[in-house]
This record gives sequence, C-alpha cells and structure tokens, in this order.
Amino acid sequence: MVDITVTVNGAQRAGSVEARKTLADFLRDDLDLTGTHLGCEHGVCGACTVIVDGRPVRSCLMLAVQAAGSEVTTVEGLAPDGELGPLQQAMWDSHSFQCGFCTPGFVVQATAFLSAHPDAGEQEIREALSGNICRCTGYQSIIDGVLLAARRGAEI
Amino acid sequence: MTQIAAERYTGASVKRSEDPRILTGGGRYVDDIKLPGMLHAAFVRSPLAHGRVLAVDATAARELPGVVAVYTGADMATMTIPGQDPLFAMMGGGGPAPEYTLLATDKVRFVGDPVAIVVAESRYLAEDGCELVEVDYEDLPPVATAATALDAGSPPLFANLGDNIIGPHKRTEFGDVTGTFAGADLIEEFHIDVHRHQNVPMEGRGIVASHDAETGTMTVHAATQSVHVTRMGIAMRLGMEADKVRVLAGDIGGSFGLKIGASREEIAVAAASRDLGRPVKWTEDRGENLSASGHAREESFDVKAAISKDGDLLGLDVAMVIDIGAYPVMGTMVPAIVEAMLPGPYKLAALGFESTAVATNKASYIAYRGPWASETFVRERVLDLLAKDLGLDPLEIRLRNVAPRTDPPFPMVTGRPLAGVTTRESLERVAQMVDIPAFRRRQAEERARGRYLGIGLATFIEAAPGPRSPEAGSGPMGMEFMRLRLEEDGIVTLFTGQMPHGQSHQTTLAQIAADEFGVPFGQVRVVVGDSDVVPFGLTGGSRSATMTGGVALHGARQLKGKVLDFASVLIEASAADLEIVDGQVQVVGDPDTGIPVGEVARQAASGEFGADVDTSFEVEASFDGGEGGWSGGSHCAIVEVDVETGIVTVERYVAAEDCGALINPAVVEGQIRGGIAQGIGAVLLERSAYDQDGNYQSATFMDYLLPTACEIPRFEIAHLETVPLDADVNFRGVGEGGMIVAPPTLVNAIEDALAPFGVRIYEQHLPPARILELIDAADSQSTSSVD
Repeated sequence: MVDITVTVNGAQRAGSVEARKTLADFLRDDLDLTGTHLGCEHGVCGACTVIVDGRPVRSCLMLAVQAAGSEVTTVEGLAPDGELGPLQQAMWDSHSFQCGFCTPGFVVQATAFLSAHPDAGEQEIREALSGNICRCTGYQSIIDGVLLAARRGAEI
Repeated sequence: MTQIAAERYTGASVKRSEDPRILTGGGRYVDDIKLPGMLHAAFVRSPLAHGRVLAVDATAARELPGVVAVYTGADMATMTIPGQDPLFAMMGGGGPAPEYTLLATDKVRFVGDPVAIVVAESRYLAEDGCELVEVDYEDLPPVATAATALDAGSPPLFANLGDNIIGPHKRTEFGDVTGTFAGADLIEEFHIDVHRHQNVPMEGRGIVASHDAETGTMTVHAATQSVHVTRMGIAMRLGMEADKVRVLAGDIGGSFGLKIGASREEIAVAAASRDLGRPVKWTEDRGENLSASGHAREESFDVKAAISKDGDLLGLDVAMVIDIGAYPVMGTMVPAIVEAMLPGPYKLAALGFESTAVATNKASYIAYRGPWASETFVRERVLDLLAKDLGLDPLEIRLRNVAPRTDPPFPMVTGRPLAGVTTRESLERVAQMVDIPAFRRRQAEERARGRYLGIGLATFIEAAPGPRSPEAGSGPMGMEFMRLRLEEDGIVTLFTGQMPHGQSHQTTLAQIAADEFGVPFGQVRVVVGDSDVVPFGLTGGSRSATMTGGVALHGARQLKGKVLDFASVLIEASAADLEIVDGQVQVVGDPDTGIPVGEVARQAASGEFGADVDTSFEVEASFDGGEGGWSGGSHCAIVEVDVETGIVTVERYVAAEDCGALINPAVVEGQIRGGIAQGIGAVLLERSAYDQDGNYQSATFMDYLLPTACEIPRFEIAHLETVPLDADVNFRGVGEGGMIVAPPTLVNAIEDALAPFGVRIYEQHLPPARILELIDAADSQSTSSVD
C-alpha cells in the first residue's frame, strides 16, 4: 500500500492505496465522490474526466499514486455549495442531458475547455467534446448548453 | 388584487427536476451504492464460442486472500431454480424450450458465457480470483451464422433440442397473396440483411443484492426498466416468495431495452448474497457489456414485391430468418411484431410472412429500442428500390401508396386500423422543409464537380400505444396503474411503476398532474423505483406518454374530485362550484374563499368529521389507454459520400414527427434526436462483429464505434399534432421512432448519392470500407456489362 495526499476540490485528502488502484476508484471508493462515473475504463468514453492540475484527464487511465501531490477537481467541486455553476445552469436551461451518466464527464471537460476558450464556436466545441460519448441525446442539447454558457460568459 | 391565471405546464418545455442532481454529481446510480460488509463479484467467462466444460478448478482462486467464495456453474445449480430467462418466461416466448443452467455447467455457448462467479473483498481481488479459476474446455464446432444453424446437421447448442431451430418455420398469409402476385404487372425479389448491433447504455448492467437471513428477505439495488419485473425474476429463480424480495432503483444510466428483468449474472449475484449472508455488488464492465450483455437485430429477409407498373405496391411476400444468439430472451418474440407492422402506413392489400428463429454461438438477442425496427428498414428500402426501377421519385411512390384517412379507419392488411395516422402530412412536410427540387439541382451541379450528395426519405408508424381496436374489450397496451396522494404539506405524490432511465418522467408526469389537479409544478413529487411502494409497471415500448401520462391525468382528476368533495364541507359550497387554482381550493373565480390544499388535508386528518365524510386523500388509478393512437413520422437526410475514402457525412437531417399532444417539447425532441443518433451510429459505425469461428471482435470502444459530437449533425424537427382520438389523453410515445426510421432514411440517402455508380444497397451497415466495396462492385459490374 502507498500513502498519498491529494488536494481534491480544494481540500487535502489522505489515503492509503494499492499501487494499481486507479484515480477514478480512489475518488469513488476511498473518498465517496461518486459523481465521477466509469463508462468504459479504457479511456474512450470520457465519463470519468476530472481536472488534474488544470488539465482534463481520464481518471480511469491514471493511477491514484500518480495524482499524489496534485490538485484534482471533480464534478462535485464545480458546485461546491450545491449551487449550479454557470455552465451547469446553462446545461439545465438547455435540457442538455437525459440519463445523466455521461454528464459529469461532459461538465468537467466543457468547463476545462471553456475556461481556455471562452469564445469558442460550435465546431470547436464539438471537437473539444468529441472524446466524450453520450448515448441518449444526439449531442445537440449538450452543445447548445455549452454555447449558451459561452454566450452568457461573454455578456458578463 | 389581480388574479393570476394558473400557468399551464403541459405542452411547455419545463426544465427537468432531475437535472440539478445529475449536473452536480449527485445522481445515485447502482455502482454508487455502498453497504456495510459489501463484497464484490466478477465472472469467469468463456473464451470459446462453443465448447464442452470438462472441469472447473477453483482451488487456487478460493485460496487467494481476499476471495470469499467461488461458485461454479454446478454450485450455482444447487442454489437456484432451473428455468428460462425470466423475461422470456413471463412473455411466453414460444418455441421449444432449451435446457441450460444459470452459469455454464456442461457447455459454453458464446464468448463471454458466464462459467463461474468469484466473490471477494474488492473488485480488484475478485478479478484476480477469476484469473486463477482453471477451466478445461473441449472445443466444439461453432455455429457462427444463421445459415449454419439452419443446416439440420449443425451441432446443436442444446442437447434436448437436437437442432438449432428455436422458432420453427411458420407462415401466415393476410389478404389474397396468390391472387395478388398472379395479377401483378411486376414481381421483384430482394435479399436484405440487417446486422447485429447493440444498446450500449453508458452505464452497464449492475446490481447490489443483500440478503437478510433473519427475516428471509432480499433487498436488491438494481439498474432496471422495472423494479417489479426484476423482483419477479429474482424471486422465481431463487425460489423465494415475491414479497420477500424488494427491488430498489435510483438513477439509471440508460438502457434502451437492455435492462429488463433479471439477467443470469444478476440472479447469480443475488444467490451468492443469500449464500454468504453479505451484500454483494456486481458492476458490469464495458468488455462484458459489449460481449455478453446481449445484442440485437441480426436478421435477414427474402422479399418478393408485387407491383403495378404505375408504382402501386400490391403485395409483399417476406421470409425472415432471425439469429437469436445463444439463449432465448427476446429473439423469438420479434418476428410476430415484424409481421404485424410490416404493412406500415400503406394500403398494401396482401402480405405473406414467414419466419424462422435460429440459435447460434453468439450473445443472446435482447430488446433494443424498436425491436421490430427491421420491418421499417425492409419496407422503406424496398420502396426506394422499386421507385428506382420504375423511374419514380421516392416521395411520389410513398404518397401513391399511403393509406387514405377514412372513416372507419383504413385497416392494415394485418389487422389494426390506421386511425389518425398522418403519414401523408409528415411526408409532405419534410419534402417542403428540404425543398427537394432545389436539392436535385444542387445535387446535379455538385456531381458535375465530383461531389456525391444524396437525399433519402423514410416513414414509419409505431404502436405507441396503438389504436383501440373496435372489437377488443381492452385497450391497446394493457393497463397502467398509479397511486396518488395529497400530503398535509400540500404535496401531491405520484407513485408510478415507470422506471425512468433518461425519459424525464419525474418532470413530465408532474407537469400533467400539476395541471389537472391545480397545484404548482414544484408541488408534485414523483416516486419511482421501490417495489414495495410503487404499482406494477415497466418503462419500455414507448408506453409511458399515453399510458402513464394518461393515468396521471385521470388519477389527478380522481384525487381532485375527493378534495373538492371534502372542501365543499369546509367552504360550505357545492363541489361543482369549487376549483383548485395554484394550490388553493376556492369558489370558482373567487380567490378570497381559497384554502390551501394542504390545509384541506390537515383538517380532514383532524378526525372531527363523521364517518360518512371521505377524508382519505389517496387514490388508486388505472388507465387502459383510452382511444390510443399511432405515433409516427417521416424523416429526410441529405448526405455526402466521399467516394475516395468511403466516408459519409450527414449534411442535413429533418424530421416531421407526430406523437400527438406534446407533454414537454424539449423532452420529446431529446428522445427523437437520441434515437436518430443511434440510427446513424447503426448505419455508419456500430457492429457487434464476430469472426467465422464465433470469436467476438468488438469488445472495446476502439472496436465498437459509437457516434460522437463530430458525426451527429443538428436535427430539424417539426411536430404535427393533427388527429386527437381521445377526449383527454392524446400524448403518444416517441421513445423508439428515431431509431426505427433513421437507418432506412440514411441508407436511402447513401444509395441516392451513389446512383451515378449504379450502386444498389441491400444491407444496413455501411462503414467506409463497405461503401468503397459497393462502389467497386458496381463499377466492375457495369464495366463487365459494357465488355
């Protein structure tokens, strides 16, 4: 077992993990942050996306020990007081999702993308989200949510 | 004081009450459940398509620290009741019943067939344990295709059957088939294939089972489309009384037909929990989901079409072979629905239909969004092929053959009346939306520049719920139940057997009940997912809009009647003079007399009223679907095919849909778009592929390709709401239509794009490599005919 400390959603969290344990399993099982979902466990579907040191990563492909000393933001960290963040609000307004399983990955990936590209247009957003799979919506409502958040961001 | 008219929620895109939870990571899916002392299960699965199990040695696995138990197929057979798949058993699947065990004992029948279950302190350790289970197999010749299975000499999957025919050949004729074909100007024949593909919800299957030996009860947390069907399945196979099994479900990460009832793995997990006296969790991983959860649609059709030289489709004679995979679940039930639906909205006067269902060494055929969809693919593909041969426009041949809307309604040749069907209108609407003549001009210009654009059109109807048949005593889809209760805090609680997994029932049912009862939307609570609390029900078959929307409306009306009766005592006015507006009971038009509905409930509960006053504000409602009706629509796609790479780009996609009155337009459009996206995936990307030996080839998302935001275009959707049939309930189901009609729409467009090459398409899966083969084959054919 390896002792690690990770800053998760702003708080220092200590854990003792097997070297083989993924970051996703550490977040879900050890820290009870079950908002991070596992859709494929081989890095394709994007449901498990979290932000590590400012960059979106697949937490199913990263080991917990690799995250030692890093800052991790999960979907729970984007609405710390239960209040929806601006992107989450825009996605609610846009009826972005259905079953909700892919949702945390899209929310995290789009948050990271919009913070770097606040003026992104539809095609750029589609490409930025093309590593996240949704089986319910046909994507249009998700893209509309991100576009709405970008537009509202520009108005502020 | 100005009276504010109550807002009407039904028909508005009310924001989903589900969303704040799921957007913040607060959803509760089955894999999020953690119980004290919970163990984790993993399955040892067959690497062979077909083999004899000679020995299973679990000694080393059992010795691994952290492994708590290993159950082989033989162990499991002593812990469970033998039987068929619970869904198959409940629906009376028909055909000869093969004998097999919950986990494989004598034989394995597909790659991924479960052989043993390992239960350990963590999923990591359970998977380590699986690695240590030694299974000796003897290879048997695989039955990898339906053609092999049809051969009486093929090795039988099931010893008690002797061959691989699971649904024996059956033929039915509707109308005068012989006479129609004898009198036709032309008879054309086609062979059409539909390929194997699958549901792929983003969340796989999963279960946490927890047996309490003290009380003899089993609590199951499940991902399911029906807590009751799961309860029945687990009780049946564990030999328990159904009332000793409680099934709970929270959020569910999609299903599309996959998660109905209780699968073999889920039953094994429940049995393990009972044996160990500890909770056991199993979360299906993606490899298991793709290889072993089940597949759909592998069917082939020999079609004979009788036509007039003017383009009247007079008769069809269709022979279907369905490959149900290894174990009967849904496959044997599909041909009857295909048969009933094949005429579609057309005035086809004769149909001969025959079918045979065969077992093969592949994953079992399960329900997938519009399980009968191949009838639409076949019919709409054949119409385009015929139009081409007759020199007719695809729109023209459809308009020519659409049944007229008559009174009494024109009956399909297979029986059901086409009451209220708006196919003509939806065809005309999509044609107008895309402006076909303008497209044809652009198509010709682009072809001259070496760009290949095509347009495709297809139409469908769906019995969601279907029309009430004049002679039938019951409604079109059985009964739907709901319990409704007014609480003392003024909340109206609906208890429904629907088990939403993306359909937004917590929002849509609340909209209907809020309007009908007279409270704000936020004052209605929808309770789902507890078999001890909710009435029997199932989310599936696009039934909820009519059936559950209807029972919510009628139930709310019933509950309101009770409240008004009681309030008439309080307000001292006749119930007929009272109304409920914005949560207040009042004399019609006089808000000053208003009493909050919660106050009415509180006063009733005070016990001050005599026995002759009904003070219970709970009703049990049921609804039989009323007059029912069809949903349906027409879709049109414009595609570009890159003839160098074979890549198809969907440039534009329009749909004119009629699902009657819309409850929540954003929810309806979400269902339509999601269905179309799955249809696009099915044609351009997705395939559950096996090699010639039955080895599964698509067990990761690098092999089973799903569409992403870059392959799916924006969809333009128009709504027709033209023909109400029922006095109150004209919402119709819209869950499956997109997936039913998108494949023929797209394939028709691709064939149109490739018309200059003379390409004809008789299949549904058209990835780039196949497009190039079709172009090459057509090229060489035309070259050789020139030679």
